[in-house]
Amino acid sequence: MDELKFRRQAYEDPHNQDADFLAQINAKPENQALINELKNLDTKLSNALKVDVAEDLADKLILRQQLQQHHKQRRQTFFLVAMAASVAFVVGISFSLLRLGPIDLAEHALAHVYHEDIALHVDQNVNFSQVNAQLASIKDFGNAKFTQQPGKVYYTSYCDFQGVKSLHLVLQGEQSKVTLFIVPLEKRMVLDKTFADGKYQGMGFETPDAFILLIGEDQADLSYIKDEIKNIFI
Amino acid sequence: MFANWRKKSVEPAVSSDMLSKQRRYNSLVKALHADIFRYAYWLCGDKHVAEDITQETFLRAWRALDSLKDDKAAKAWLITILRRENARRFERKQFDYSDVEQDTLEDNISNSSEEQTEQYLIRRQIGKLDIEYREPLLLQLIGGFSGDEIAELMELNRNTVMTRLFRARSQLKELLEKNDVRGQSNG
Repeated sequence: MDELKFRRQAYEDPHNQDADFLAQINAKPENQALINELKNLDTKLSNALKVDVAEDLADKLILRQQLQQHHKQRRQTFFLVAMAASVAFVVGISFSLLRLGPIDLAEHALAHVYHEDIALHVDQNVNFSQVNAQLASIKDFGNAKFTQQPGKVYYTSYCDFQGVKSLHLVLQGEQSKVTLFIVPLEKRMVLDKTFADGKYQGMGFETPDAFILLIGEDQADLSYIKDEIKNIFI
Repeated sequence: MFANWRKKSVEPAVSSDMLSKQRRYNSLVKALHADIFRYAYWLCGDKHVAEDITQETFLRAWRALDSLKDDKAAKAWLITILRRENARRFERKQFDYSDVEQDTLEDNISNSSEEQTEQYLIRRQIGKLDIEYREPLLLQLIGGFSGDEIAELMELNRNTVMTRLFRARSQLKELLEKNDVRGQSNG
């Protein structure tokens, strides 16, 4: 190893432990001196480089990290709450949309008759002009009206078919009373031509402006009223 | 995200994972924060900036802690993050700290003993050293890295690194000897 190379290596790293290098140090006293000088310099430099570190720096570093972790968790929690809320929201919306699904008018009509059974017992003796007034007040019916008195009308009332305002009448058939529902046309309604349960017969048809449902105990009465309505309800 | 959430509330085994990560981070901080801070300080020459860089470095380290496979490589890993963080400081281009204003260096002279005076002078000289010579020296003396490791960290070839170390030491030696002479003649 020549002198120049040795000096270079000494300056590059005086703590070099290569066998060649160590041998060269021991070869000459001045090499030894140079190395000692450089090691001495390194010690001084190392000490000089050791600037004071704030005592709380380590704590600060841990604190910062934990705060950030905390924020991240909060953000995650927020995200999850937001997710849960939107899921709940969507579920809520779809339930109310389900309610807007097909409505079986017949089933509803029967349930209504059973529920409002007072309608079959009262006698309000309603004039058809009053019924027309009620019809007119429901805007979905357009200009539908009775042109003349459809026999005796015992009872008239608004009623609700799944959120759709409708008219509930009780008329006198040939033999018995017949309940008549006039429901505004709406796409989601499903109407059976005839239906029945243990006690009542039912029949449904469509006019240009409305669904008509008839419910009574006697099939003949239903046909009778149906014909009459077809003639006088426009 | 959901996996994380489950980690916390449901599975104690996994939440202990989190705990051990925290422990690992804490020991990393305790063992290396001084070196990292000093390195940052000698890179930028300002204690507050150095503290900021150290903070950023450790935060990034926390976020990426899972990617540190070998704890022995932790120091080099942190230094890499730190150097990137320091470079980013210049991209952000806030203030011009660039060439180390060595008047901001620690002034221990008030307490003056001879040793401290000398140390003050050495610090001034280190600060005056060109950054390209200073950095390999920092890595060698603070980091304890070998020439090859420094080459890898600085993305230079080994010969360049060794040349810079050589120049750094010769310059410092020369400057300090000159100072000594002046000091003696003055005293």
